[in-house]
This record gives sequence, structure tokens and C-alpha cells, in this order.
Amino acid sequence: MHLVVCLKQIMDPELPPAEFRVDTQKKEAVRGSANLVISVFDENALEVALQLRDAAGGGKITALCVGHESAVDALRKAVSMRADEAIRIREEEFPALDAYGAARLLAAALRKLEPADLVFCGREAGDWHGAIVGGLLAGELQRPFVSLAAAAQRTDEKFLLRRQTDEGWETVECAGPAVVSVTNDDSNQPRIPKVKDNMMAFRRQIPAWGAAELGIQTSELNGPNAALEFASLGIPKSEKQCQVIGGESVEEKAARLAQKLADLHVL
Amino acid sequence: MKNVVALLIAAPGGLRRTEAEVLSAGRRLADGLGGTLAAVILGAAEASWDGDAAAYGADRVLRVEHAGLAEYQAELMVEAARLACAALQAEICLAPSSTYGLEMAPVLAQKLGAAVVTDVIAASGEAGQVKITKPVYGGKANSELIARKSPLLLVMRARSVALLEKKTGAVAETSKLDVQLDAGLAKSRIVERKQEASTGVRLEDARIIISGGRGLGGPDGFKLLDELAVLLGGAVGASRAACDQGWVPASWQIGQTGKKVAPELYLAVGISGASQHLVGISGAKHIVAVNKDEKAPIFEASEAGVVEDYRAMIPALIEAVKKHRAAEGK
Repeated sequence: MHLVVCLKQIMDPELPPAEFRVDTQKKEAVRGSANLVISVFDENALEVALQLRDAAGGGKITALCVGHESAVDALRKAVSMRADEAIRIREEEFPALDAYGAARLLAAALRKLEPADLVFCGREAGDWHGAIVGGLLAGELQRPFVSLAAAAQRTDEKFLLRRQTDEGWETVECAGPAVVSVTNDDSNQPRIPKVKDNMMAFRRQIPAWGAAELGIQTSELNGPNAALEFASLGIPKSEKQCQVIGGESVEEKAARLAQKLADLHVL
Repeated sequence: MKNVVALLIAAPGGLRRTEAEVLSAGRRLADGLGGTLAAVILGAAEASWDGDAAAYGADRVLRVEHAGLAEYQAELMVEAARLACAALQAEICLAPSSTYGLEMAPVLAQKLGAAVVTDVIAASGEAGQVKITKPVYGGKANSELIARKSPLLLVMRARSVALLEKKTGAVAETSKLDVQLDAGLAKSRIVERKQEASTGVRLEDARIIISGGRGLGGPDGFKLLDELAVLLGGAVGASRAACDQGWVPASWQIGQTGKKVAPELYLAVGISGASQHLVGISGAKHIVAVNKDEKAPIFEASEAGVVEDYRAMIPALIEAVKKHRAAEGK
């Protein structure tokens, strides 16, 4: 069984809102003191792949990441969690990459690897919230796409995916190969790597594939989204003023809060 | 760009808010572009959907019915949508913000060769172009995009669309599209469904929501919130942190990923106020916070707040509400 997990490295979304800045000229967030992390749902995806392999008693996991040099850290983290292989796709060779372009790059990389039974990715990137690369990738590969999976199980030749719906849960059965996007769940919180695995990963060389290795021209990455004009990026102004409800005691605060709720006509 | 299509996925019962939002957004786009709105109903829906689609602004309704669409099946639904869009010469397509709509969107976009943008909070048409506002970076910033080419596929964020006033008695031309759907297209099937038992009102419809986060420290804190919710006639929600801990079901999650709610009152208890959570409550009328950390970002997003440990505050609030009601003779 070969499982591939697609990761994206992003600016830490837990950065406090007060520290968040935007470069309106470059139309991107200012890195500032923010760390770079694996997008959270991609970590959930990696955990789902690891659990699937654990349950199956074996299998190979390859982590792919379209990213700049810094993405090597994200891939090393995947290796420390026991992904077997990790490959960086050199984003620096493909400027102005959009979702269609990323999907085409990932498809090209997948065609170079041994066939994957399942390709996992997070439900959406923690910075751009597109939730489209997975579906576009499935289209490129002409394979089914199942979204919002929280867990995966193998039975005979098929896979059972437990996925979230608007009203609860569903179990979707599908044969591989398929592309699966993963959502966060208490059952797929990413495992903490062992110290020895951290050290092993730190020493690992992460191969980087560019246009030459992928056999792809930059022009092939132009999809329909390239026609969208990215006009601006800005921080919306917030005018909220918080009324602090104080008091000498908890009871006093509670009484004032109850009155506030009454004033709002919600009591 | 003039032909706008609202994709509706059939479900039991009458047309719901999800569909009404797709239609309202579609109608506004069509009006701005001087175009028309067609509603496509994928699968078998009640007869009332025709009139309701018209009431929300559809100029015509196209029903796509086929045995393969009796239940949602991803590949067959996408193919049916593709055929409907082709028949209507759709230039702008709006997919619903439901699990199924979001799943179909990129796959359908790829087949249509459409530019695709999701989680859109505003889309307006003018002079042959569409201006799109899409929040990014966990809701900390807004990106503005302009589309000038078709086809374009958009998914509006749930709860971001103000519903148009229903035009009672509106009538739209209704027709059926016969489609060939090769059963071999289906590559997956739903083998089990589980509806989460909801105690009372759905979060999306709740007028009052008491919500808990990491600050609750464990599942027990939610029992206190539930007591308060019952007293106020509200529902209980949670932040991603509480759900990831397994303290409450995933369906209670409110936020960027999770439910989008628009209650009269949202009481955030032990919730720090990460921007991703605020995304889920941008439609709330009044946000009030209880948190023992005075520096918690939630206070910057709230109308009122109490800096206090919820373990003391919520029981005290429950007593205070009972006293207040008794005094008011309720």
C-alpha cells in the first residue's frame, strides 16, 4: 500500500491578530516574527495516513510539498512522524502559482512516484482556505475525490472513509486510487515525534524536484484561475468597543451581566 | 457574462436556507450583470422547490432527475451538474456551501474549465465583470478578486448571503433535463449515514448560543454551559480546540471550519478568540465573552465581557438570571 500526503507550509495561523500585518503592495501577509508551520489540516491528513498504515500493518508513506527552501522543515517534520519519503517540489521555479498550478505540479510528481492507493491532503490551506487543490488534483488524475474525511480504513481491496457531513457522519467506500481531503477530529490529532525520530529527520536529505525532474513546462500550469485579477489584500477595520462588566464580587458581575442580557432582549 | 446558474442539491423537505442563499446571491449577480438566473435542481426534490426557487429570483428552473441521483453520489452529481451547465450555457455557476456543494465545486470547475473561488463573502456583478471578496489568513484579511472571463464557479460562505425577500406568487418556467448517467462513472458509495442527535435547535438556526473553548479545561465545563443554555432557550457550541480534545462532538464546532452561526446572542466562554473562530460568528448580533484572561483577543471582538473564571461565573450567572426573571415576575 502506498499513501501520499500533500503538505503546504504556511505562516503560523496562531499568530495573534494584533501582530498580523499585510503588505498591500505585494498583496501578501508580512512574515514578521511568525513561524512557518505545516498547515494544520495537512497534519491531520498525515496522521490519518499514519493510522491507516499502522492498522494495515505496513505500507509506504510519501510526503509531497510544493514550497520554497524553507519547506524542507515541513518535510522533515513529516519524516520525524515516520513518513518514509519526503520530496519538495521547487516552488521557486513556478512563480504566481495558483490552485490549478499546484494541482498540476502534484499530479506530475505523482506520475513519477510508484502508484499511490490514496492521496491525502488537508481540507483547506490554513492561509488561503481554498479547499480546491484536492478536488482539482483528483480531476487531473481522473480519480474520485472524497472530502472531509476524519479517518480511513482498508478492507479487502477498498477503503472506508469516515467523513463529516452537515448533519453528522457518513462512511464512504471507494476503491483506490482516490484523492481524500482530511478534516480535524479528536481521532486524528498529529502524533508527537519521538526524539530519536526528530534526530533522524534532521539528518535526512530532502530531494527537490523542479520543472526538469517533473517533465513539466511552466506554461502548462496556467489554468482558468490565472485569469482572475488579484486586485487587493487588506485588513478590514474593526470598530468594536468592549464594555467591561466589572464588580466587587462574582455575584455582582453576574447580576450586571444578567441585566446586560436583559437589555439585549435575550433573557 | 450574463448566464448565472444556481446549483441546488435536492434534499428531503422544503427548500432550506442553503438553497435560498445560493439563489439570492445568484439573483444579485444576475441583476448586476443584466443577465438571467437559472436554478438547477439536482436530484428529486419536492414540487415546492420550483415555486420557492422562483420566489428567490430564479427566472427558470431546470430539474435534473435520474435514478442515479436519488442520493448524493459525487461523480454522478458532478456529471449531472456539468450537463445542466452545458445545456444552460452557464457562464457563472454558484454551488451550495454544504459538504456536498464544496466537494463538487473543484471537480466540476475542472470539468467546466472554470475559474473557481470558494468561501466568498461578497460577489457583485457590474459591466461584465464580477468583483469577489474572499477572506484569507483565518479571517484576518480580505482579498479582492476580479473575474472577467467565464466560466466562473463560486461558493459563497454559509450565512454570508443576506436572503432576498421572497416574492410570493413568483413563477418561473420549469423544465426537466433528461440525462444519460453511466453507472460506471460512480467510483464511491455511501455505505452508512449517521445523523448526530441534536438536542433542540440546530446551531445554524439558534437565537442564543453558549459556546465553550479550551478554557473550559475538559468536557465537564460543557455541562454548566448546557444548564445555562437550557435556561436561556439556547444551543451549545464549541471552538475547534474543544472539539479536537474530544470534549464535544465535531458537529458543535463553530468557525472557519465548522458551523457559521448568526444568533442574537453569542456567549463565548473560555474561548480565546482566534480569528478562525471569529469567522464562524461574524453574523452574531451580540457577542459577549467570559474569560479569565483579560488579554484574550475575544474581548476585542465582543460587545461586552467579564474577566472571570467561568467555573465561578457561569453558576453565578445562572443564579442571577433566575433571580432577574423572578423579579420580573416571569
